[in-house]
Amino acid sequence: MTTSAEIASYPSERRNSLSLAELPSVEYGLIRAHVFASLVTLVFSVLFGILVATKFTFPEFLGGHGWLTWGRLRYNHTQGIFFGWLGNAFLAFFYYAVPRLANRPVSSRKLGWFLFWIWNFAVVLPGWVLVAAGFSQPLEWAEFPLVVDAFVVLAFILMVFEFVLPFVKARLSDLYVSAWYIIGGIIFTMLAYPVGNFVPELVPGARGAAFSGLWIHDAVGLFVTPFAVAIAYYVIPATTRRPIYSHFLSMVGFWLLFFTYPLNGTHHYVYSAIPMAAQKGAIVASVYLGMAVILVVTNHLLSLRGNSGTASKDLPLRFVWFGVVSYLVVSLQGSVQALMPVNRFIHFTDWVIGHSHLAMIGFASFIALGGIAHLWQRIPGTRCNERMMNWSFWLLAVGLTLMITDLTIAGLVEAQVWQSSAPWIDSVRAVASYWLVRTLSGLPILTGFLLFWASLVTGPRLAEAITFSTSRVAPENNVAFEDVPAASHELAPTAWLANAHVIAFGAGVGFFALSFLVLAILPGKQLEDEIKRVAPVTMPTLTTSEQRGRVVYGREGCAYCHTQQIRSLAEDVRRFGAPTEAWETKYDYPQLWGTRRIGPDLSREFNIRPRDWQLTHLYNPRLVVRDSVMPPYPWLFKGNVNQPTQEGLDLLAYLQSLGRARQLSGFDQQMMASSVHAAISEMAMTSEPSARATPPTVPIAMPGGYSDSAPVLHPASNPDDLQEEVSRGGTLFAANCASCHGSAGRGDGEASASLLPKPANLTAARFSDERLSSVLWNGVAGSAMPPWRQLPTEDLRALVAYIHSLHLPSVAPSIQQAANLNEGKSLFAANCASCHGDTGAGNGPAAGALAPSPTNFHLKKPTEERAWEVLENGVPGTAMPPWQSQLSADQRHALVEFVRSLYGTPQENSGQ
Amino acid sequence: MINLIVIVISAIMFALLLVWWRWPAFRAWIEAPKYSMLRQERRFDDRNAAGTASGSIQFMAHRDY
Repeated sequence: MTTSAEIASYPSERRNSLSLAELPSVEYGLIRAHVFASLVTLVFSVLFGILVATKFTFPEFLGGHGWLTWGRLRYNHTQGIFFGWLGNAFLAFFYYAVPRLANRPVSSRKLGWFLFWIWNFAVVLPGWVLVAAGFSQPLEWAEFPLVVDAFVVLAFILMVFEFVLPFVKARLSDLYVSAWYIIGGIIFTMLAYPVGNFVPELVPGARGAAFSGLWIHDAVGLFVTPFAVAIAYYVIPATTRRPIYSHFLSMVGFWLLFFTYPLNGTHHYVYSAIPMAAQKGAIVASVYLGMAVILVVTNHLLSLRGNSGTASKDLPLRFVWFGVVSYLVVSLQGSVQALMPVNRFIHFTDWVIGHSHLAMIGFASFIALGGIAHLWQRIPGTRCNERMMNWSFWLLAVGLTLMITDLTIAGLVEAQVWQSSAPWIDSVRAVASYWLVRTLSGLPILTGFLLFWASLVTGPRLAEAITFSTSRVAPENNVAFEDVPAASHELAPTAWLANAHVIAFGAGVGFFALSFLVLAILPGKQLEDEIKRVAPVTMPTLTTSEQRGRVVYGREGCAYCHTQQIRSLAEDVRRFGAPTEAWETKYDYPQLWGTRRIGPDLSREFNIRPRDWQLTHLYNPRLVVRDSVMPPYPWLFKGNVNQPTQEGLDLLAYLQSLGRARQLSGFDQQMMASSVHAAISEMAMTSEPSARATPPTVPIAMPGGYSDSAPVLHPASNPDDLQEEVSRGGTLFAANCASCHGSAGRGDGEASASLLPKPANLTAARFSDERLSSVLWNGVAGSAMPPWRQLPTEDLRALVAYIHSLHLPSVAPSIQQAANLNEGKSLFAANCASCHGDTGAGNGPAAGALAPSPTNFHLKKPTEERAWEVLENGVPGTAMPPWQSQLSADQRHALVEFVRSLYGTPQENSGQ
Repeated sequence: MINLIVIVISAIMFALLLVWWRWPAFRAWIEAPKYSMLRQERRFDDRNAAGTASGSIQFMAHRDY
């Protein structure tokens, strides 16, 4: 039996007996400072986001400066939201809530100001400047460079002293749920942050990705979520003056969230090389997380029962209510999109971007705004413009709804195109209008945030801070807690339950350890063993130049649009090549797998595109891919495309090394012949319909590989059908070919200035159907002409018809005299046959070593003018030399006539 | 992995429900913080109101602990 004297000695009871003057102080100065910093950084971060979004529609916009390029702005957008906006908002809330929850002031005002300066002037501001200057870490939610990460860790250690220590000293047994989340979140993030930021620099590739995946989710799940949920659990009862529905449920939710959230991380890498057990574990945890959130949100909404009027009248509560509802929606969405059938469809698309904006704005930002508005109105002497705040709410709500709806649909459209055989650029074209809407939706959001800021510094100065007695809530709510005996919570069933702060501390440490053991360390060990077992011993490393190029690739944010992770899905394999194996990433420090595709995957870039195409693409992507939204990188060139800087050359070298190890090692052939393949397949994809079961050497799996199976595409013979094909082919040509070949097919497109060999002048030769089919199907090795076999056969046939229509009908075989032909024949045999073959079929003894291959004059029939021009000048960029200095004009003339005699009959040459 | 997660979550839930069902004192203890939080909130508000009335915003000198 507990005596009244014992009860009186309990910390909670002592707390209740304190006079008002003895209550702990609240650091209002620090609250104001963090609120101000949060809103300043919020506006900048949203501006960065709007610039990023604008560049999808206008890729050249502010594209001339490295520090304003898409990738760096994207890094600063998310890191600004994470550290600048939400970090400061949470810190402001801690200074307000911790003294109330712990009944002790925060540990030290000086420490608080030190933390403020560290957070804003050693983390946020230098982080932004360094990223803009090109010093960053290409890992999601970890983009600030390592030197800044060190200060982040220091800040979290300081937070432990500032905010957790008061709870430890208070020794309260009745720790309110917000305090549990604050303690658990700080401890967990203090441990998880260095592991998620530093370890991928030390653990390469797929193993590092296991750690990165955890941090991606922990950043949202155990930094953003606990503190936002803590605010919701605080603001709701403080505003309604009624206890939350069930503290028991809130505790169940706390434990489930802390158990399941850390286990979610690997769901960012479903169908990857990470062991399938870890992937499926993450998926199951994601589903459980959805259930946990249902429980948490149910508790929140039941706490508001009977107070719907309050939620509409009280603006801070309305912000929190919107955030809570968004939390439910985004969590259920997250659970669903982790499921494999959904994930294979929507992963890498804008759907996920919509999901993350719903999480960071709809859930976290709305609740943070509600928390700030709530505490602001309770600080004596502050101003508040409720009308402006009301406008802020509606602008934010409307802008966000538009953005999420738009991005979700855009994601579905992208997914649909990616499932098809349409060229990648079609997915970019298909969502261009959605990207414009997304940009526009950012404007009301930015305005809403600005109005919120203005609402805190304008309007009438509050005559008195809002209190229980001045709140708008019905007075009858007061009785709900007044009658509960103050000491009931001290009657802890067992002594150890009285140390709630220790348990919360343990939750942070324990779940951190569990998640990293289960989802990072153990899978990492499995991957390490697999790599040792299957990695080719001759696997080449990156050269110094390629390594420097890799740094440029990371610095410019390339990994945020281009994955280097071909998933074990038939649609990925068909489009990009064999699935990425863990051993291919064994030298990737840090991993660059990426979690988003705006451009295509680059894992198999080796031997796909030539140097001049790559450089032209980097200088101005739209020169070679007309509707590309990739930003230009002029700072990697000295004024023109033909003069790349050393960094440009390094990046080129790196791009051309991607997939080299796989192609040179003969791994795929070995795999097909060994039992290792079965072992890996079993480990990674035991019960899934696996693309790994598809032989990775199937020709179509390699985008640049030559395929003998190229179909011969004959245009329609019916004139009406032919006309229709030519018309459609013209449209396709304008969309896909004109940037290089020119709108009239004369090989004078914008990109032609920097391509070597030049794009073919399609009006200067007649091509056979076989030749055009082969080029469209396989590309032209040694030139910038890529394979287009991903286009539907009907489209390829239409292109063949259109290219035929470009040809001027003047190509006729030679009708010269026999003497001339004989001279030409001997000249041809002496000078040309070694490459072009005795019969001009392009199959001379030297032909096999040449790329592009020598012309086969039976399949490609240049006009007389073109043939003459080639003999005079050669074909730069190919093995064809100029013959002007070696052969006289008469000899060249005889040679032209002989070559034209190889073309075939006049009927054949007129296309009949 | 899946089994581990399912077993641990089931165990947590089962343990909590068992304690809730079999241990009435636990119910009172675990629900108590939601009342004490509100009491504390009211006391701070009252202090603010008193401070505003007296024209003082900083109510109490900060002590470093």
